[in-house]
Amino acid sequence: MPKSQVVSIHPVTRIEGQARVDIHLDESGRVSDARVAISALRGFEQFVIGRPAEEIPRIVSRICGICPWMHHLAAVKAVDGCFGAVPPPTGQLLRELCQVIAHIHDKILHFFFLAAPDFVLGPDGDYSVRNIMGLVRQEPELAARVARMRQLGQAMLARFAGKSIHPVAGVAGGFSKPMLETERRELAADALVLLDFASFALDYAKRSVFSRFREELQSLGAITTGFLGAVDAQGNLRLYDGLLRLMRPDGSWVDFPASDYERHLAEQVEPWSYAKMVYAKSWGEGFSLNPAAPMGVYRVNTLARLNVCDQVATPRAQAELEDFRAQFGRPAQGTLLYHWARLIELVYACERTVELLADERITDPLVRTPAESKAGRGIGHVEAPRGTLIHDYSTDDNGCITRANLIVGTTHNIAPMNLSVRQAAASLICDGEVSESILNRIEMAIRAYDP
Amino acid sequence: MLPRLSFECLHGCSGCEMALLDCGEQLLGLFDRVEIVHFPLLMDHKYQNPLSGASDGEGEIILPEAEIGLVSGGVANTEQLQVARAMRAQCRTLISLGTCATHGGIPALRNQWTSEATLQTVFAYGSPEKALLPGEVPALLDRVYSVDEQVAVDVALPGCPPRPEMMLEVIEALLRRESPDLAHKSVCETCPVIRQGKGQGTMRRFLANADYDPEEPVDQMRCLLEQGLLCMGPVTAGGCGGRETPLCIRARVPCRGCYGPVRPGGNQLLDMMNGLASNGIDYRSLVDRKSLLRFSGGHGLLKPARNRKESN
Amino acid sequence: MSREAKIIAFCCNWCSYAAADLAGISRLQYPGSIRIIRVMCSGMVHPEMVIHALDKGADGVMIIGCHLGECHYIRGNEMALARAEVIADTLEDLGYESERFRIAWVSSAEPERLAEAFREMSARLASLRETDASPSGIGE
Ligand code: SF4
Ligand code: SF4
Ligand code: SF4
Ligand code: FES
Repeated sequence: MPKSQVVSIHPVTRIEGQARVDIHLDESGRVSDARVAISALRGFEQFVIGRPAEEIPRIVSRICGICPWMHHLAAVKAVDGCFGAVPPPTGQLLRELCQVIAHIHDKILHFFFLAAPDFVLGPDGDYSVRNIMGLVRQEPELAARVARMRQLGQAMLARFAGKSIHPVAGVAGGFSKPMLETERRELAADALVLLDFASFALDYAKRSVFSRFREELQSLGAITTGFLGAVDAQGNLRLYDGLLRLMRPDGSWVDFPASDYERHLAEQVEPWSYAKMVYAKSWGEGFSLNPAAPMGVYRVNTLARLNVCDQVATPRAQAELEDFRAQFGRPAQGTLLYHWARLIELVYACERTVELLADERITDPLVRTPAESKAGRGIGHVEAPRGTLIHDYSTDDNGCITRANLIVGTTHNIAPMNLSVRQAAASLICDGEVSESILNRIEMAIRAYDP
Repeated sequence: MLPRLSFECLHGCSGCEMALLDCGEQLLGLFDRVEIVHFPLLMDHKYQNPLSGASDGEGEIILPEAEIGLVSGGVANTEQLQVARAMRAQCRTLISLGTCATHGGIPALRNQWTSEATLQTVFAYGSPEKALLPGEVPALLDRVYSVDEQVAVDVALPGCPPRPEMMLEVIEALLRRESPDLAHKSVCETCPVIRQGKGQGTMRRFLANADYDPEEPVDQMRCLLEQGLLCMGPVTAGGCGGRETPLCIRARVPCRGCYGPVRPGGNQLLDMMNGLASNGIDYRSLVDRKSLLRFSGGHGLLKPARNRKESN
Repeated sequence: MSREAKIIAFCCNWCSYAAADLAGISRLQYPGSIRIIRVMCSGMVHPEMVIHALDKGADGVMIIGCHLGECHYIRGNEMALARAEVIADTLEDLGYESERFRIAWVSSAEPERLAEAFREMSARLASLRETDASPSGIGE
């Protein structure tokens, strides 16, 4: 094999977005470079300009049909900021409730529909079987339960808020409708069913999946980076709000409000991808993707959130976090540990749903403060399944958008994903020998990030 | 041999696919009776065999043959165009799934600007010293196209996303070799609110909630349009709530037109303005009228503003 | 570049179409690129018909009805007038200059007034073409 060549994985499959991987091999068949390129650009930052800010939450939801609630709610918060609107407490509780429920279907989707085929059916299986359809055939009962549970989460949202995909109920100043006591009771019953399933899912994964992949959990795509996530003032894990906590690879951290994001984070463009990359500007080392000495690189999403929080405020998830930390330390760096962390967060999301539905304020009829359209700036943040999500808008006197900057969860993880792919490719490919199972293992490193 | 199904997601958001998964166990039942041959979101069939030899990263897109193909998302770059053509070539019946595919959808809002302007805006942020544009990625087309603007489509199934049951019904009908029944009236048709046929003279922005009693069902609420809120129900294809209350109205929020125009070739902007004017409502009180085309800016309806000189 | 502006004129059956007839018989001069479409009343011209004509390549569109107060269907032309404003505004939204549309009133006895309206519209479109800053990349 005397010539250098490029092996492409196109498209990367069983992920949400559109991406390809190019692996560059030199004359001796060694990996000289590997890149994950995001090939779609949609231009939301452009086409929200000039539009009435209160309409934006119903437009930006279309950034992602898997996590539309996250964009919807980050946008609603940013518009609150522009208009100086302060939602009543119940408006905030209802928003948070929808957000944590939306996390539930997303995690079930990602773990069981997208990632699990690699573990349950094996990473080296035939591609035509290694998928949810194959899982249905091999484990019909599990698959049916999984499909039902995911559907249940979505149905809860649809029942209460009208639309589950591309929601409309979050509005500037609060929420569009209060919750009735009858609705609360039905949702609370469903939430317990989901919590049961979440506990089952994590047990199942620990028993029959993770135990068989001890080695890979720590080694496949392994890199050492910092982490970013959200915590409350006591250091508890938060999904809906909280302070951002930026942790260095050594485990030290700073906390700051999301509105200060520009002081800590900066974006960088590379010619081979439509996705911008974000790095930790405040570390003062700049940005480098050099695999030997990466600079400014941190990760977001489930593993990051569990690394940065001191504890989780709900009992089952806290017990799982303690078990996780006892095995992998803090911060845990193994890339496939994202899956494990995802299932712990699933338990948390269910517990938090139960908790919110038990809060007596949740049925208060005052859910929205009328907003006033005016000039301003607002920065909205939520923790999306894919990581820290920031919407930053400015408006003119008429309350129309003049500028928008969006940092979506996946953007933070583009740089580390590239490092992981490169690490995986370099350790799996020797002498230019590439096989389907090697390529799928490289994709597994990407799937862990759930881009 | 089982009938083969092929899925592609182009310039969209995967929401259509999520809605399909919202069919839950019913969908798993369908999986039993068909063979899925290509579905990047759920399975690992690739465009090319990466091991077939040295690749320069470009190359043909090879898709399997299928009886039924479903394409969600519009067509906005050269790679998506290649995929759309390959799907057309390989699928006997091609369905455009969702409003992005049938009318451009939200991403076609970009058509109000040139592709260059969009690239400049999106990449102006980030580090100012290195405001470079990506070059080694599929080039943007001049605008966002609906799928039928680029290749022939047999069945158009709008909705953002389409109603899950509707998707299954269409697929089932095609499997029985029947043509699916998609005739629809407007969103208002299934909306149970109280209509008195008299609106407000002006429109207000949706900055405070509609007037209604939360303890009462939706059929006790006054029509949102008659309350002076912009509701696009009259100019939008119905079906989002099945035979029941439209989805947004259930949340007491006005319709924004996500199923596209009532007639496939209609123009929601024009129809809405005409409707407001005919009912004596001051349409000038609307902020940003172009938003009325937010779901249907494909087919050349949204274009960049002409930069004409002021002369007379 | 020097081709004459193509104009679609919707003329109502009762007044303006009759005026057009008369203009022909009286051999009045007006641009040959005008295509007259007879409609029963100006009130039945839906804005979509106007946009459709422009989308299909017309340079300008006119709606011509009876004088206000003289509509055969009583209020058809008032409806047309209300829509005319919508059309003018919407043209800009859809990327066309508002000058490409005009509404006018002509009685059946005023062929000269009709011819004048046609000539004026034709001239307006010609000047529009000259001042059009650039083709600005609009291909179709
Ligand atoms: S139609 Fe809506 S749900 Fe479907 S891809 Fe487009 S934006 Fe997403
Ligand atoms: S305008 Fe809106 S609220 Fe009124 S009937 Fe139609 S859909 Fe319902
Ligand atoms: S009410 Fe209108 S915007 Fe809402 S889902 Fe139905 S069609 Fe779409
Ligand atoms: S009949 Fe001439 S305008 Fe109505």
